[in-house]
Amino acid sequence: MSWTIDEWFVVALARTIRPTETVFHGFGSPCAQVAMHVARRTHAPEMVLVEGAMYAINPDPPFIPPTSNDASLSRGAAYSMRFEEFFDAAIRGDVDRMFLSGGQIDGFGNTNVTAIGPPGRPKVKLGGGGGGCNLSATIGHLTLWTTRHRSGRTLVETCDFITDMGHRTPLGTRAELGFTGGGPQWLVTELGVFEFRDGRARLAQIFPDVSVDEVRAATGFPLEVAGDLRHVTPPSAAELAVVRSVDPLRVRTSEFSARELARAFEAGGGQDCAC
Amino acid sequence: MSLQPPRDKRASLADAVSLVSDGAIVALGGGLSARLPMAMVRELVRQGRRGLHLVGSAHSIDVDMLVATGAVARCEESYVGFEQDLGLAPAYRRAAEEGSIEVAESCCATILAQLRAAEMGLPFLPVRGVRGSDIGRLHPEYAEITCPFTGETLVAVPALRPDVALLHAPAGDRYGNLHLEQPYVLDERFASASRMVVATVDELVSTEEVTASGVTIPGHLVAAVAAVPYGAHPSSCYPRYAYDRGHLREYVSAAQSGPDDLEKYLATYVHGGEESYRVAVGADRLGALAGWSQSVTAWQELFS
Repeated sequence: MSWTIDEWFVVALARTIRPTETVFHGFGSPCAQVAMHVARRTHAPEMVLVEGAMYAINPDPPFIPPTSNDASLSRGAAYSMRFEEFFDAAIRGDVDRMFLSGGQIDGFGNTNVTAIGPPGRPKVKLGGGGGGCNLSATIGHLTLWTTRHRSGRTLVETCDFITDMGHRTPLGTRAELGFTGGGPQWLVTELGVFEFRDGRARLAQIFPDVSVDEVRAATGFPLEVAGDLRHVTPPSAAELAVVRSVDPLRVRTSEFSARELARAFEAGGGQDCAC
Repeated sequence: MSLQPPRDKRASLADAVSLVSDGAIVALGGGLSARLPMAMVRELVRQGRRGLHLVGSAHSIDVDMLVATGAVARCEESYVGFEQDLGLAPAYRRAAEEGSIEVAESCCATILAQLRAAEMGLPFLPVRGVRGSDIGRLHPEYAEITCPFTGETLVAVPALRPDVALLHAPAGDRYGNLHLEQPYVLDERFASASRMVVATVDELVSTEEVTASGVTIPGHLVAAVAAVPYGAHPSSCYPRYAYDRGHLREYVSAAQSGPDDLEKYLATYVHGGEESYRVAVGADRLGALAGWSQSVTAWQELFS
C-alpha cells in the first residue's frame, strides 16, 4: 500500500474529528472538505457534517468540486441550512469544530487571512476571513491547518493582522475577551501535527520524512516539542479509499506545492518512533 | 421604503440598473461561484457607474470586475477571491494594495447582524467575537456595550441598510416574485434590509409557475425585474446551469496580466451588451453548462 502527502494530510485532519461532533469547514478549504467526508465514512459515522458554503447537512457529494458552493456538495442531503441558520447555530455554541487556515498563523493559534504587511497599505491583500472573526470565538474547537509550513512564511512569531482569534491576542486571553468556544486544539501542517498546551502550539507528531530541525527552521515562533513526539500514524486502507473516491478531481492537491506532492510513502517504510 | 404595490415591474436591463446611483450602497446577491448578479454587474460597467460602496459576504468576479473598471470606492465584504482554485482576486488585490479603494473587510455573522438590525428597524445589534481581532480596527463605527442582563461585554454593530440589492434568480414573474434555489446566501436578508431590490431572472414565468416552485423573495420587496438568460454566468444558477470555471480562469488571467488584457476581455464580453455576451461565450459552452444534470460524468467534466 502506498500513498502521497496530500492523502496522508487529509487523513491527519480527519482524525481531529471526534465521533459525534458537528463539524464545519470554510470555503477555499479542499483538504478540510475531503477530511470531513473521510471521518464520516470511517471513524465518525454519527457526526453532523455541515458542508461548506452550501451548509448542507450530511450530504454525499458525487465529487468535490473546485468551489465550495456548488450544488454537487448538497447532493444526498435532506436539508441545507440557510446562511443565517448556520451562523446562529455556530454563535450559540451548537457547532463543535471548525477547520480554519491562514496565510499567517502564530504560536497562540491566531490566524491572518486579511493582509500581509501593514493593513492600511498591504504588501499582499489576501482574500479575507469570511465568518472567522465571529466563529473563532464561539465554535467548540478549531482544527487549524496549513500546507505551506515549509515556506517559512506561514508559521510566524506575530501575525501582521489578526483576523481570527486563537488562545491569546494582544488584547487578552479568550477568557478575558469573553469567548464561549475553546479555541485551537490542533494545527496540522505538511510537516507535522501540533497540539495546544497552555494556549501554545507544541509539535506532537511529525511526518517520517521530516526532521525536527526542518520543522524548527520553518517555524517562526520558538518550537516546543512534545516529550513523546511520534510519527503521524499512517493512513488505513479504508481511509485512503475514501479520500480517493470522494475526491476524484483531486481538488485537495491544489493546496500543495509541486515539491510536496512528490512526497510518497509506503506501508512499513517508516519507523514507529521519531526519537 | 414602504412595500411595493403589485404592479408589472418588468424593465429592460438598462432601465433596471439605472436605479443604482453613483455612490450607492449596493448589496450583491449570491456568493462565491453561485448566482452572482453578473448581468447587472456588466450593465453597471457599461453605464460607467462610480463610487459604489459594495457590501456582502464572500464574493468573487462580481466585486473584482467592478473594482477593475473603477466603479468602486469602498468594499465591505467578508471575502473577495477565487478560493483555493484560482486564488486571489487580481483587481481587488491590486486596488487594496495601491490604496485606490477603501477596504473595510467584514465578517459574515457581523454583516448578518447589521442587516437584521435594518430589517427590524433597530439602530444596532450586538455580536459575539470580533474583540481581539484586528477586523474591529477597520470599523471605527463598532462599539463595545455591556449587556444590562448578564454583564457581558459585547460588540455593538450599526444597522446596515443598502440602497439597493441586486439579486439574480432562475425564475420570477412580472410582479417580481422570485424563486431561488439554495444557497440563498444573504439574498433574503438583503431583500428586506435594503431600500430597493432590483432583480434579473433567467426566465420570466407565470405567477402560477413561480408559486408552484415556491416564492423565496416576494414581489412586494422588488422594484424592478429584467429577464436576462444566463444572467448569472459565469457563476452558477442551479437548476439551470453550473458555473463556468474556464471562463472564470479567463477573466482572472486577463485581470492579472494588466490593463490591456483586461480591456480585451471587456471588449469581447462586456461592452457589447448581454446578447453579444452570450454569443461571445458561445452557445455550445452555455449548452454544456446547462447539461450538468445529464450525468454525474457530464457534471464532473465541467470542472476538470
